[in-house]
Amino acid sequence: MVPTRRALLGGLATVPLLHHSARAQARPGFVRYGLSAFPPNLSPWDNTGASAGTVKMLLNRSLVAWNAKGELTGELATSWGLDDQGAWVFKLRQDVVFHNGEKLTAKDVAWTIEQVAGEKSTAHMRVQFQQLARVETPDPYTVRLVPKEKLATLPAWFANYNMHICWAGSDPRTPIGCGPYRLVRQERGTSIELAASPNYFKPGLPKLKGILFTAYPDENLRIAALRAGDLDMIEYVPWQAMASVETDARLRLDEVQGAAFMDILFNGTRPPFNNPLVRRAVAHAVKREDIVKVAFFGRGRPLEGVPIAPGTPYFDEQLSRGWAYDPARAKALLAEAGYASGIQAKMLATAQFGMHKDSAEIVQQYLAAIGIQVELQLPDWSTRVSLGTRGQYDLAVHGVAADSNDPDGLSVVMDTSLSNTHSRSFSLAAPRTSAAFAAGRAEFDLAKRVEIYKDLQRAALEEVPLVGLAWRSQGFGMDKRITGFKNLPGQLSTSSGNQLEYTDFA
Amino acid sequence: MNFVLRRVALALALVWIVATIVFIAIHLVPGDPAELLLSTGGTAPDPATVAQLRDRLGLDLPLSTQYLAFLQGLLRGDLGTSLVDDYPVLDEIALRLPRTLELIAAGTTLAILIGVPAGTWAALNRGGPFDRAASATAAFVLAIPVFVVGTLLILLLAQTLRVMPAGGYVPFARNPGQHLLLLTLPALAIAKGLTAVLFRMTRSSVLDVVGQDHVRTARAKGLHPSRVVLRHILRNALSPVLTVLGLHMGALLGGTVLVEYVFNWPGLSTPLLRAVEARDYPMVTGIILVVSTLFLTINLITDLLRAALDPRIRTA
Repeated sequence: MVPTRRALLGGLATVPLLHHSARAQARPGFVRYGLSAFPPNLSPWDNTGASAGTVKMLLNRSLVAWNAKGELTGELATSWGLDDQGAWVFKLRQDVVFHNGEKLTAKDVAWTIEQVAGEKSTAHMRVQFQQLARVETPDPYTVRLVPKEKLATLPAWFANYNMHICWAGSDPRTPIGCGPYRLVRQERGTSIELAASPNYFKPGLPKLKGILFTAYPDENLRIAALRAGDLDMIEYVPWQAMASVETDARLRLDEVQGAAFMDILFNGTRPPFNNPLVRRAVAHAVKREDIVKVAFFGRGRPLEGVPIAPGTPYFDEQLSRGWAYDPARAKALLAEAGYASGIQAKMLATAQFGMHKDSAEIVQQYLAAIGIQVELQLPDWSTRVSLGTRGQYDLAVHGVAADSNDPDGLSVVMDTSLSNTHSRSFSLAAPRTSAAFAAGRAEFDLAKRVEIYKDLQRAALEEVPLVGLAWRSQGFGMDKRITGFKNLPGQLSTSSGNQLEYTDFA
Repeated sequence: MNFVLRRVALALALVWIVATIVFIAIHLVPGDPAELLLSTGGTAPDPATVAQLRDRLGLDLPLSTQYLAFLQGLLRGDLGTSLVDDYPVLDEIALRLPRTLELIAAGTTLAILIGVPAGTWAALNRGGPFDRAASATAAFVLAIPVFVVGTLLILLLAQTLRVMPAGGYVPFARNPGQHLLLLTLPALAIAKGLTAVLFRMTRSSVLDVVGQDHVRTARAKGLHPSRVVLRHILRNALSPVLTVLGLHMGALLGGTVLVEYVFNWPGLSTPLLRAVEARDYPMVTGIILVVSTLFLTINLITDLLRAALDPRIRTA
C-alpha cells in the first residue's frame, strides 16, 4: 500500500485519542499513588517496610502520631502523662469506632499490647513493649502503662507505623483498625484500593474519596509514570530525577533533608577494627562531600559526627564535626594504633542498591589513601543481611533511618550492647555510648536529656560504634494540584503516610 | 507410540531433577527468610523475634525433612505457601501465569505476523532493497538489549509524546481497552528479538527450499505464484522455523523477567524476583518448577509436531 496524505493525517488524528485513553483512569477526589514496593502483608504490627507502613497508617490509627512539625500529637489519645508512680497514663477519645462499628475502649489498647508483646509475637515493637510490667485499664477510656524501669520515650513507641490499636475482638491474623480509610480491594502484587471510612473520628477527614496504590518497584518507571500522568503522586523520588521534577511545570517535589543516613559499621571481634583508634582513623579518612555528590546527586549533606538530627535541642554544631575529614590525623591515629605500615581488610556492602555500592567505592578509595587496602564484597541485599548479622566482615557500609528524630531512636543502630544485627557494628564494645542511651531513656527532664545526649556524642566520637558518612534526602513527587500533604521532617519522613488523611486532589 | 512415551517419561524425569536442584540451590544460598522479612526497610529485628518466626515457618526443621515434605506436597499437587504472607504458591502462579502467557502470546503473535512474511519476502527478493534493509534491521534489533528497547519506548511514547501509559496493569474484565493499551508496549518489547530471529530463520529456510526441484516443477506447471509460495515453499520451509519458534518461546519465559519489570506487568517474573530476594523458598521453587515444566512441555509439543511433520524423526 502506498502511503497517502489522507492516511497520514488520519493516523495523526488518532494521537489525541490515544492520549486520552492512556490517562483515562484519573478520577476526581482520588489519588493514584506509586509505591516503591508492594506490601508483603498489611499486618498492623509486623515490620514489612515503609511502603507497607504508608498503607497501614491509613487503615489504622494509634494512640499518638507525628504531626507535620515532627511533634507527637494525640490520635486515639486525647492526653498522656506520667503519674506519681512513674507509669504512663493515656486518656482515650470517646468517639472512635473501628471499621466494624465497634467503639474503642481501653480494653482494645490492652489487647493490642498483649498481641504485640506476646511470647509468640513477631511484632516489630515486641521487645519495647515487653519492657512493660503491666497494662491497667482503670476505666473504659483510661490506659495505665507500668514500665519495669523508668521510660521517657514510651509515648513515641505508639507513633511507630508498626504499632496500631486494633479491636480486641479481632482475629489476631486479620486485626480490625479504625483508620481514615478502608480496604476496598487488593490486586495481589499490583495494587491496593482504599476508600474513605464513613465513620472516621476526625470531622471532615479524610479529604480524599479514595487512594489507589500501585506498586512500581523500578524507580525509573515510577518517575516515568508520574511524568506521563499515569500516577498523581509517588514516594522515593530517585535523587537523580529530583531536579527534573522541580522544573516540571505540572509537578511538585516535597523533599526533606536528613531522612536517613549512610554509615560504616565494624566487626569488633577481631583486629584491627576492635581498636577504637583504627575506627577513628577510618572516621577521619573519608571526604563525605564526594559521597553526597556521587551517590545522592548532591541531595544530601556530609555527616561527620553522630547522626543527631539538626534542628533538635540535642544537636551540637561542634560535635557534629567531630570526625571531620583529616587524612593526616587519620594516618597519625593508624600509626598510634600500631598500623603505620597499613591494613588489609574486607568491606561488605551490596550491589543491589546504588547508594550502598557508590558509597562503598568512595570509602574504598579514601581508605586506600591512608593505607587501608579494602577488598569490596558486594553481594545481593539478602546475602548482605545474612553476612552482616553473622559478623562475616571487617567493615560494612550501611544505610538506615532511625526510629525517630529523638536521639533514643539511634539506639537501634548505635547501641552495641543490644544483640547483633546487620545494621549495627558486630560485637563491638562501646560501653559509654550504651550507658548514655540507657540514661537518656530514663530521664524525663529535657535539659538533662540534652546534656546526656551531648555526653553520648562525645563518648561515641571516641568509641566509634559507627562512622557517619552522609545524610540523604527523601522526596515525594506529586501533581501540583495535590494539597495538604507534608513530608515529615528528618528521619520521620517514612511516617509521612499519615499526612494522606489531610491530602486533597481537586 | 513408543516415541511419545519415551519423550513424556524423559520430560517427567527432567521436572523432578529441576525441582530437586532448585530446592537444594535456593536453600544453599545465604540468607534467612525470617530475618529478611523482619528486616524490610533496613531495620534491625530482635533475634528472639526472628527465632520465633523461623519456628513458625518451619525453617528449623532439617533440610531432608523439608525436602520430603516438598516432594509429598508435589505429588499431591500442593506447592506450599509463601513464607512472606502464607499465600498458596499455586494460587499465586494461577493468578500470575496467565498474564505472563498472555504477554508471550501477544509477543509471539506479533513476531510471527511480522517475522515470517518479512523473511519470506526478503528471500523471494534476495539482494533487493527490502532484503538488505530488513536484514540490517534484524541484526540491529537483535543487538539491542530488551531493557533498552523498553526504556526507549517509555521515554518516547509515554514521557515525551504521552500517547501511551508508561506501564502497569488493569484486568481485562475491568477495562478491556486499557488492558490492551497496557499490553502493547511490553508485547512490542518482547516481540523484537523473536521477530528478528524468525525473519532470519524464515529467510534462510525459504532460500534453501526455493531452489529445489519440486518448487521448479510447481512453477513449470503454471501454478499461481502465491500458491507456490504457500503450498510448496513455506510448508517445507517452516519445519526448522517451527523448531526455532518452540525453543525461543521457552526462552521468552525467561525473557519476560526484564520486560515485566520494565513495564510493571504483574506476571510471574515479579513474584519470582521478589521471592529470590526474600528467600521465599516455596515460592521460588514453585515458580521455577512451573516455568521449567512449561518449557519442557513446549519442547515436547515441538518434538511431537516435528515428528508428525517428518516421520524420519520418529524412527531416529
